[in-house]
Amino acid sequence: MFGAFGKQETPKEMEEILNDTITPQELEKFEKVYMKELKDKKCVTAKTQFEYAWCLVRSKYGADINNGVKIFEGLCKDDPDNKRDHIYYLAIAYTRMKDYTTAQKYVQAFLEIEPNNMQVMLLDEHIEKELNKEFKKDAAIAGGALLVLGGLLGVGFALAKKYHDKKKPDEEVRKNEPAN
Amino acid sequence: MLTSTIKLKILVIGESGVGKSSLMLRFTDDKFDPNEQPTIGVDFKVKNLEIDGQRIYLQIWDTAGQERFRTLIPSYYRDATGAILVYDVSKMNSFQKLETWLEELEINTNRNITKMIVGNKIDLQNMRKVDRELGKKFAKQQRALFVETSAANNINVQTAFEELVKKILEDNIFDDQNGVAKSDIRLTGMSDSQNQQPAGGSCTGGYCGR
Ligand SMILES: Nc1nc2c(ncn2[C@@H]2O[C@H](COP(=O)(O)OP(=O)(O)O)[C@@H](O)[C@H]2O)c(=O)[nH]1
Ligand SMILES: [Mg+2]
Repeated sequence: MFGAFGKQETPKEMEEILNDTITPQELEKFEKVYMKELKDKKCVTAKTQFEYAWCLVRSKYGADINNGVKIFEGLCKDDPDNKRDHIYYLAIAYTRMKDYTTAQKYVQAFLEIEPNNMQVMLLDEHIEKELNKEFKKDAAIAGGALLVLGGLLGVGFALAKKYHDKKKPDEEVRKNEPAN
Repeated sequence: MLTSTIKLKILVIGESGVGKSSLMLRFTDDKFDPNEQPTIGVDFKVKNLEIDGQRIYLQIWDTAGQERFRTLIPSYYRDATGAILVYDVSKMNSFQKLETWLEELEINTNRNITKMIVGNKIDLQNMRKVDRELGKKFAKQQRALFVETSAANNINVQTAFEELVKKILEDNIFDDQNGVAKSDIRLTGMSDSQNQQPAGGSCTGGYCGR
Protein backbone atom coordinates (compact mmCIF):
# COMPACT_ATOMS: atom_id res chain seq x y z
CA MET A 1 0.00 0.00 0.00
CA PHE A 2 1.15 3.47 -0.85
CA GLY A 3 0.58 6.65 1.07
CA ALA A 4 1.34 5.21 4.47
CA PHE A 5 2.53 8.62 5.56
CA GLY A 6 -0.54 10.49 4.45
CA LYS A 7 -3.48 11.33 6.64
CA GLN A 8 -4.86 7.86 7.00
CA GLU A 9 -8.28 8.78 8.16
CA THR A 10 -9.48 10.50 5.04
CA PRO A 11 -9.81 7.55 2.68
CA LYS A 12 -11.45 5.51 5.39
CA GLU A 13 -14.12 8.12 5.93
CA MET A 14 -14.94 8.42 2.29
CA GLU A 15 -15.07 4.67 1.91
CA GLU A 16 -17.47 4.31 4.79
CA ILE A 17 -19.80 6.88 3.28
CA LEU A 18 -19.60 5.26 -0.11
CA ASN A 19 -20.06 1.77 1.28
CA ASP A 20 -23.05 2.71 3.37
CA THR A 21 -26.11 1.10 1.82
CA ILE A 22 -29.79 1.49 2.45
CA THR A 23 -31.84 -1.49 3.58
CA PRO A 24 -34.17 -2.97 0.95
CA GLN A 25 -37.12 -2.27 3.26
CA GLU A 26 -36.29 1.40 3.43
CA LEU A 27 -35.77 1.69 -0.30
CA GLU A 28 -39.09 -0.02 -0.88
CA LYS A 29 -40.84 2.36 1.47
CA PHE A 30 -39.79 5.40 -0.55
CA GLU A 31 -40.30 3.62 -3.82
CA LYS A 32 -43.92 3.02 -2.91
CA VAL A 33 -44.51 6.69 -2.21
CA TYR A 34 -42.93 7.57 -5.53
CA MET A 35 -44.89 5.00 -7.51
CA LYS A 36 -48.14 6.00 -5.86
CA GLU A 37 -47.71 9.65 -6.78
CA LEU A 38 -46.75 8.68 -10.28
CA LYS A 39 -49.85 6.55 -10.63
CA ASP A 40 -52.32 8.92 -8.99
CA LYS A 41 -51.17 12.23 -10.31
CA LYS A 42 -48.94 11.39 -13.22
CA CYS A 43 -46.36 13.67 -11.71
CA VAL A 44 -44.19 13.38 -8.66
CA THR A 45 -43.37 16.24 -6.31
CA ALA A 46 -39.75 17.34 -6.14
CA LYS A 47 -39.63 16.25 -2.49
CA THR A 48 -40.72 12.70 -3.26
CA GLN A 49 -38.37 12.53 -6.23
CA PHE A 50 -35.51 13.74 -4.09
CA GLU A 51 -36.16 11.25 -1.32
CA TYR A 52 -36.50 8.33 -3.68
CA ALA A 53 -33.42 9.31 -5.64
CA TRP A 54 -31.41 9.65 -2.46
CA CYS A 55 -32.43 6.11 -1.51
CA LEU A 56 -31.57 4.82 -4.97
CA VAL A 57 -28.04 6.15 -4.95
CA ARG A 58 -27.51 4.41 -1.62
CA SER A 59 -28.57 1.07 -3.07
CA LYS A 60 -26.30 -1.93 -3.45
CA TYR A 61 -27.29 -2.29 -7.07
CA GLY A 62 -25.90 -0.40 -10.01
CA ALA A 63 -29.26 -0.35 -11.76
CA ASP A 64 -30.81 1.48 -8.81
CA ILE A 65 -27.98 3.97 -8.67
CA ASN A 66 -28.47 4.62 -12.36
CA ASN A 67 -32.14 5.34 -11.84
CA GLY A 68 -31.21 7.68 -9.02
CA VAL A 69 -28.88 9.52 -11.38
CA LYS A 70 -31.67 10.01 -13.87
CA ILE A 71 -33.94 11.51 -11.25
CA PHE A 72 -31.25 13.84 -9.92
CA GLU A 73 -30.44 14.99 -13.45
CA GLY A 74 -34.08 15.85 -13.92
CA LEU A 75 -34.17 17.64 -10.59
CA CYS A 76 -31.24 19.83 -11.60
CA LYS A 77 -33.61 21.40 -14.10
CA ASP A 78 -36.95 21.10 -12.30
CA ASP A 79 -35.81 22.03 -8.81
CA PRO A 80 -32.90 24.41 -9.39
CA ASP A 81 -33.12 25.95 -5.91
CA ASN A 82 -31.67 22.79 -4.46
CA LYS A 83 -29.19 22.17 -7.22
CA ARG A 84 -26.37 22.10 -4.69
CA ASP A 85 -27.77 18.90 -3.20
CA HIS A 86 -28.48 17.31 -6.55
CA ILE A 87 -24.98 17.93 -7.84
CA TYR A 88 -23.52 16.47 -4.66
CA TYR A 89 -25.55 13.28 -4.95
CA LEU A 90 -24.72 12.96 -8.63
CA ALA A 91 -21.06 13.08 -7.69
CA ILE A 92 -21.64 10.45 -5.00
CA ALA A 93 -23.61 8.25 -7.40
CA TYR A 94 -20.97 8.30 -10.12
CA THR A 95 -18.27 7.67 -7.52
CA ARG A 96 -20.18 4.67 -6.23
CA MET A 97 -20.41 3.38 -9.80
CA LYS A 98 -16.69 3.99 -10.14
CA ASP A 99 -17.20 6.40 -13.02
CA TYR A 100 -14.67 8.77 -11.52
CA THR A 101 -14.27 10.97 -14.55
CA THR A 102 -17.90 11.97 -14.55
CA ALA A 103 -17.94 12.21 -10.76
CA GLN A 104 -15.06 14.64 -10.92
CA LYS A 105 -16.92 16.96 -13.27
CA TYR A 106 -19.74 17.28 -10.78
CA VAL A 107 -17.36 17.79 -7.88
CA GLN A 108 -15.54 20.51 -9.77
CA ALA A 109 -18.76 22.24 -10.70
CA PHE A 110 -19.68 22.23 -7.03
CA LEU A 111 -16.33 23.52 -5.84
CA GLU A 112 -16.50 26.39 -8.27
CA ILE A 113 -19.41 27.69 -6.23
CA GLU A 114 -18.33 26.57 -2.76
CA PRO A 115 -14.57 26.17 -2.93
CA ASN A 116 -14.19 25.43 0.78
CA ASN A 117 -16.90 22.85 1.25
CA MET A 118 -15.22 20.15 3.34
CA GLN A 119 -17.71 17.47 2.44
CA VAL A 120 -17.07 17.89 -1.25
CA MET A 121 -13.34 18.48 -0.86
CA LEU A 122 -12.99 15.07 0.74
CA LEU A 123 -14.94 13.48 -2.06
CA ASP A 124 -12.73 15.29 -4.54
CA GLU A 125 -9.62 13.92 -2.84
CA HIS A 126 -11.01 10.43 -2.96
CA ILE A 127 -11.90 10.70 -6.64
CA GLU A 128 -8.50 12.11 -7.45
CA LYS A 129 -6.84 9.18 -5.73
CA GLU A 130 -8.97 6.64 -7.56
CA LEU A 131 -8.33 8.35 -10.86
CA ASN A 132 -4.62 8.23 -10.23
CA LYS A 133 -4.87 4.53 -9.54
CA GLU A 134 -6.75 4.01 -12.77
CA PHE A 135 -4.35 6.19 -14.63
CA LYS A 136 -1.45 4.11 -13.50
CA LYS A 137 -3.21 0.93 -14.45
CA ASP A 138 -4.26 2.10 -17.84
CA ALA A 139 -3.10 5.45 -19.04
CA ALA A 140 -5.40 5.37 -22.00
CA ILE A 141 -8.78 5.98 -20.42
CA ALA A 142 -10.82 8.19 -22.64
CA GLY A 143 -12.96 10.90 -21.13
CA GLY A 144 -15.96 10.76 -23.43
CA ALA A 145 -18.34 11.52 -20.60
CA LEU A 146 -16.91 15.00 -20.30
CA LEU A 147 -18.75 16.27 -23.34
CA VAL A 148 -22.12 14.90 -22.31
CA LEU A 149 -21.99 16.85 -19.10
CA GLY A 150 -21.05 20.19 -20.51
CA GLY A 151 -24.60 21.29 -21.17
CA LEU A 152 -26.00 20.18 -17.85
CA LEU A 153 -23.49 21.92 -15.67
CA GLY A 154 -23.21 25.08 -17.67
CA VAL A 155 -26.36 26.38 -16.05
CA GLY A 156 -24.70 26.74 -12.64
CA PHE A 157 -26.56 26.38 -9.38
CA ALA A 158 -29.10 28.82 -8.17
CA LEU A 159 -26.61 29.57 -5.45
CA ALA A 160 -24.24 30.94 -7.98
CA LYS A 161 -26.49 33.88 -8.59
CA LYS A 162 -24.46 36.32 -6.64
CA TYR A 163 -21.50 35.44 -8.77
CA HIS A 164 -23.45 36.03 -11.90
CA ASP A 165 -24.68 39.37 -10.70
CA LYS A 166 -21.17 40.49 -10.30
CA LYS A 167 -20.52 41.02 -13.95
CA LYS A 168 -17.19 39.96 -15.19
CA PRO A 169 -15.28 42.78 -16.78
CA ASP A 170 -15.66 42.36 -20.47
CA GLU A 171 -12.72 40.99 -22.19
CA GLU A 172 -11.45 44.14 -23.68
CA VAL A 173 -8.00 42.70 -23.48
CA ARG A 174 -8.31 41.87 -27.10
CA LYS A 175 -5.08 43.39 -28.11
CA ASN A 176 -4.67 44.20 -31.70
CA GLU A 177 -2.19 41.78 -32.88
CA PRO A 178 0.25 43.03 -35.39
CA ALA A 179 -1.25 42.00 -38.66
CA ASN A 180 1.57 40.13 -39.99
CA MET B 1 -10.91 -3.71 29.27
CA LEU B 2 -10.89 -5.28 25.84
CA THR B 3 -7.83 -6.03 23.82
CA SER B 4 -9.62 -5.28 20.57
CA THR B 5 -10.62 -1.79 19.50
CA ILE B 6 -14.18 -0.84 20.38
CA LYS B 7 -16.21 0.59 17.50
CA LEU B 8 -18.82 3.19 18.29
CA LYS B 9 -21.27 4.98 16.07
CA ILE B 10 -22.38 8.38 17.29
CA LEU B 11 -25.04 10.61 15.75
CA VAL B 12 -24.98 14.39 15.87
CA ILE B 13 -28.47 15.80 15.41
CA GLY B 14 -30.39 19.04 15.95
CA GLU B 15 -31.73 22.03 14.04
CA SER B 16 -29.87 23.54 11.12
CA GLY B 17 -27.27 26.14 12.05
CA VAL B 18 -26.75 25.22 15.71
CA GLY B 19 -23.15 24.19 15.06
CA LYS B 20 -23.21 20.39 14.65
CA SER B 21 -20.67 20.34 11.84
CA SER B 22 -18.56 22.93 13.61
CA LEU B 23 -18.41 20.85 16.79
CA MET B 24 -17.37 17.85 14.79
CA LEU B 25 -14.73 19.74 12.85
CA ARG B 26 -13.35 21.15 16.09
CA PHE B 27 -13.25 17.72 17.62
CA THR B 28 -11.68 15.83 14.73
CA ASP B 29 -9.44 18.46 13.12
CA ASP B 30 -9.29 21.20 15.75
CA LYS B 31 -10.50 23.73 13.19
CA PHE B 32 -13.29 26.25 12.98
CA ASP B 33 -14.81 27.82 9.90
CA PRO B 34 -16.98 30.90 10.50
CA ASN B 35 -18.50 30.28 7.06
CA GLU B 36 -19.37 26.64 7.53
CA GLN B 37 -21.74 25.60 4.74
CA PRO B 38 -24.90 23.65 5.46
CA THR B 39 -24.31 19.91 5.47
CA ILE B 40 -25.81 17.96 2.59
CA GLY B 41 -27.67 14.94 3.90
CA VAL B 42 -25.17 13.26 6.17
CA ASP B 43 -21.47 13.64 6.64
CA PHE B 44 -19.10 11.41 8.40
CA LYS B 45 -15.88 11.57 10.37
CA VAL B 46 -13.80 9.05 12.20
CA LYS B 47 -11.57 9.57 15.19
CA ASN B 48 -9.41 7.18 17.14
CA LEU B 49 -9.44 7.70 20.88
CA GLU B 50 -7.88 6.09 23.85
CA ILE B 51 -9.83 6.32 27.07
CA ASP B 52 -8.46 4.70 30.23
CA GLY B 53 -6.22 2.56 28.06
CA GLN B 54 -9.09 1.31 25.91
CA ARG B 55 -8.72 1.90 22.19
CA ILE B 56 -11.83 3.28 20.56
CA TYR B 57 -12.72 3.83 16.93
CA LEU B 58 -15.38 6.52 16.78
CA GLN B 59 -17.63 6.93 13.78
CA ILE B 60 -19.38 10.25 13.98
CA TRP B 61 -22.35 10.86 11.71
CA ASP B 62 -23.14 14.52 11.19
CA THR B 63 -26.62 15.17 9.85
CA ALA B 64 -28.30 18.03 8.03
CA GLY B 65 -30.91 19.75 10.16
CA GLN B 66 -32.85 21.18 7.24
CA GLU B 67 -36.40 20.11 6.77
CA ARG B 68 -35.92 18.57 3.35
CA PHE B 69 -33.55 15.94 4.70
CA ARG B 70 -35.65 15.03 7.70
CA THR B 71 -37.52 12.06 6.33
CA LEU B 72 -34.44 10.17 5.36
CA ILE B 73 -32.06 10.87 8.17
CA PRO B 74 -33.52 8.24 10.51
CA SER B 75 -32.40 5.60 8.03
CA TYR B 76 -28.88 6.43 9.16
CA TYR B 77 -29.71 5.93 12.82
CA ARG B 78 -29.43 2.18 12.89
CA ASP B 79 -26.66 0.70 15.01
CA ALA B 80 -25.88 3.98 16.74
CA THR B 81 -24.72 3.63 20.33
CA GLY B 82 -24.72 7.31 21.17
CA ALA B 83 -26.39 10.55 20.12
CA ILE B 84 -25.42 14.17 20.61
CA LEU B 85 -28.39 16.53 20.47
CA VAL B 86 -27.24 20.06 19.80
CA TYR B 87 -28.99 23.38 20.32
CA ASP B 88 -27.80 26.96 20.05
CA VAL B 89 -27.91 28.82 23.40
CA SER B 90 -28.72 32.03 21.51
CA LYS B 91 -31.81 30.49 19.85
CA MET B 92 -34.66 29.40 22.09
CA ASN B 93 -36.37 27.70 19.18
CA SER B 94 -33.45 25.35 18.62
CA PHE B 95 -33.76 24.28 22.25
CA GLN B 96 -37.51 23.75 22.08
CA LYS B 97 -37.11 21.62 18.97
CA LEU B 98 -35.02 19.12 20.90
CA GLU B 99 -38.21 17.34 21.94
CA THR B 100 -38.93 16.46 18.34
CA TRP B 101 -35.41 15.24 17.81
CA LEU B 102 -35.62 13.11 20.93
CA GLU B 103 -38.88 11.58 19.78
CA GLU B 104 -37.42 10.74 16.43
CA LEU B 105 -34.46 9.14 18.12
CA GLU B 106 -36.77 7.14 20.36
CA ILE B 107 -38.68 5.77 17.39
CA ASN B 108 -35.71 4.92 15.24
CA THR B 109 -33.02 3.60 17.57
CA ASN B 110 -32.72 1.12 20.33
CA ARG B 111 -33.92 2.43 23.67
CA ASN B 112 -30.52 2.14 25.35
CA ILE B 113 -28.85 4.68 23.18
CA THR B 114 -26.69 6.98 25.29
CA LYS B 115 -27.70 10.60 24.88
CA MET B 116 -25.97 13.90 25.45
CA ILE B 117 -27.52 17.32 25.15
CA VAL B 118 -25.16 20.07 24.07
CA GLY B 119 -25.83 23.82 24.29
CA ASN B 120 -23.43 25.35 21.76
CA LYS B 121 -22.23 28.91 21.00
CA ILE B 122 -21.70 30.02 24.61
CA ASP B 123 -19.14 32.49 23.28
CA LEU B 124 -22.11 34.63 22.19
CA GLN B 125 -22.60 35.75 25.77
CA ASN B 126 -24.73 38.81 25.12
CA MET B 127 -27.09 36.90 22.90
CA ARG B 128 -27.85 34.04 25.24
CA LYS B 129 -31.53 33.05 25.32
CA VAL B 130 -31.38 29.65 26.98
CA ASP B 131 -30.20 29.58 30.58
CA ARG B 132 -27.69 27.01 31.55
CA GLU B 133 -30.02 25.78 34.30
CA LEU B 134 -32.87 25.29 31.84
CA GLY B 135 -30.73 23.12 29.59
CA LYS B 136 -29.41 21.17 32.50
CA LYS B 137 -32.85 20.50 33.91
CA PHE B 138 -34.18 19.33 30.57
CA ALA B 139 -31.22 17.00 30.08
CA LYS B 140 -31.84 15.50 33.50
CA GLN B 141 -35.48 14.83 32.65
CA GLN B 142 -34.38 13.08 29.50
CA ARG B 143 -31.68 11.11 31.31
CA ALA B 144 -29.10 12.64 29.06
CA LEU B 145 -25.69 14.04 29.80
CA PHE B 146 -25.40 17.79 29.54
CA VAL B 147 -22.64 20.18 28.55
CA GLU B 148 -22.35 23.70 27.17
CA THR B 149 -19.78 24.32 24.45
CA SER B 150 -18.30 26.74 22.00
CA ALA B 151 -16.97 25.30 18.78
CA ALA B 152 -15.69 28.77 17.90
CA ASN B 153 -13.61 29.23 21.06
CA ASN B 154 -12.94 25.56 21.65
CA ILE B 155 -14.69 25.33 24.99
CA ASN B 156 -15.66 21.86 26.26
CA VAL B 157 -15.70 20.27 22.82
CA GLN B 158 -13.18 17.55 23.55
CA THR B 159 -14.76 16.96 26.95
CA ALA B 160 -18.21 16.55 25.47
CA PHE B 161 -17.23 13.75 23.14
CA GLU B 162 -15.10 12.05 25.76
CA GLU B 163 -17.79 12.16 28.43
CA LEU B 164 -20.25 10.64 26.01
CA VAL B 165 -17.86 7.86 25.09
CA LYS B 166 -17.20 7.10 28.75
CA LYS B 167 -20.90 6.86 29.42
CA ILE B 168 -21.39 4.59 26.41
CA LEU B 169 -18.68 2.30 27.74
CA GLU B 170 -20.54 2.13 31.05
CA ASP B 171 -23.91 1.54 29.43
CA ASN B 172 -22.93 -1.33 27.16
CA ILE B 173 -21.25 -4.70 27.19
CA PHE B 174 -18.83 -5.15 24.36
CA ASP B 175 -17.86 -8.21 22.41
CA ASP B 176 -14.12 -8.78 22.54
CA GLN B 177 -14.10 -10.41 19.13
CA ASN B 178 -15.23 -7.48 17.05
CA GLY B 179 -15.53 -4.63 19.49
CA VAL B 180 -19.20 -3.89 18.88
CA ALA B 181 -21.77 -3.51 21.62
CA LYS B 182 -23.37 -6.80 22.59
CA SER B 183 -26.61 -5.29 23.75
CA ASP B 184 -29.57 -5.30 21.39
CA ILE B 185 -28.18 -2.79 18.94
CA ARG B 186 -29.88 -4.47 16.02
CA LEU B 187 -33.27 -3.96 17.55
CA THR B 188 -34.32 -0.82 15.79
CA GLY B 189 -37.40 0.55 17.42
CA MET B 190 -39.63 0.33 14.36
CA SER B 191 -42.99 -1.26 14.92
CA ASP B 192 -41.83 -4.67 15.98
CA SER B 193 -44.48 -6.93 14.54
CA GLN B 194 -44.00 -5.56 11.06
CA ASN B 195 -40.31 -5.82 11.42
CA GLN B 196 -40.41 -9.59 11.71
CA GLN B 197 -42.12 -10.26 8.45
CA PRO B 198 -40.60 -9.86 5.06
CA ALA B 199 -42.28 -6.83 3.54
CA GLY B 200 -45.64 -7.71 2.03
CA GLY B 201 -46.08 -9.56 -1.21
CA SER B 202 -48.90 -7.37 -2.36
CA CYS B 203 -46.71 -4.86 -4.12
CA THR B 204 -46.07 -6.75 -7.32
CA GLY B 205 -46.42 -3.59 -9.34
CA GLY B 206 -43.92 -1.75 -7.19
CA TYR B 207 -40.91 -2.52 -9.26
CA CYS B 208 -42.06 -1.21 -12.59
CA GLY B 209 -39.56 1.59 -12.33
CA ARG B 210 -36.52 -0.62 -12.57
N1 LIG C 1 -20.21 32.18 17.54
C1 LIG C 1 -20.27 30.88 17.25
N2 LIG C 1 -20.64 30.48 16.04
C2 LIG C 1 -20.65 29.14 15.78
C3 LIG C 1 -20.31 28.19 16.76
N3 LIG C 1 -20.45 26.97 16.20
C4 LIG C 1 -20.86 27.15 14.94
N4 LIG C 1 -20.98 28.47 14.66
C5 LIG C 1 -21.40 29.08 13.39
O1 LIG C 1 -22.76 28.79 13.18
C6 LIG C 1 -23.03 28.55 11.80
C7 LIG C 1 -23.64 27.18 11.61
O2 LIG C 1 -22.71 26.19 11.98
P1 LIG C 1 -22.76 24.71 11.41
O3 LIG C 1 -21.67 23.95 12.06
O4 LIG C 1 -22.82 24.71 9.93
O5 LIG C 1 -24.19 24.24 11.96
P2 LIG C 1 -25.01 22.91 11.63
O6 LIG C 1 -26.01 23.26 10.60
O7 LIG C 1 -25.64 22.52 12.92
O8 LIG C 1 -24.01 21.90 11.16
C8 LIG C 1 -21.69 28.69 11.07
O9 LIG C 1 -21.61 29.98 10.56
C9 LIG C 1 -20.67 28.48 12.17
O10 LIG C 1 -19.48 29.15 11.89
C10 LIG C 1 -19.92 28.66 18.07
O11 LIG C 1 -19.60 27.91 18.98
N5 LIG C 1 -19.93 30.01 18.24
MG1 LIG D 1 -23.98 20.86 9.38
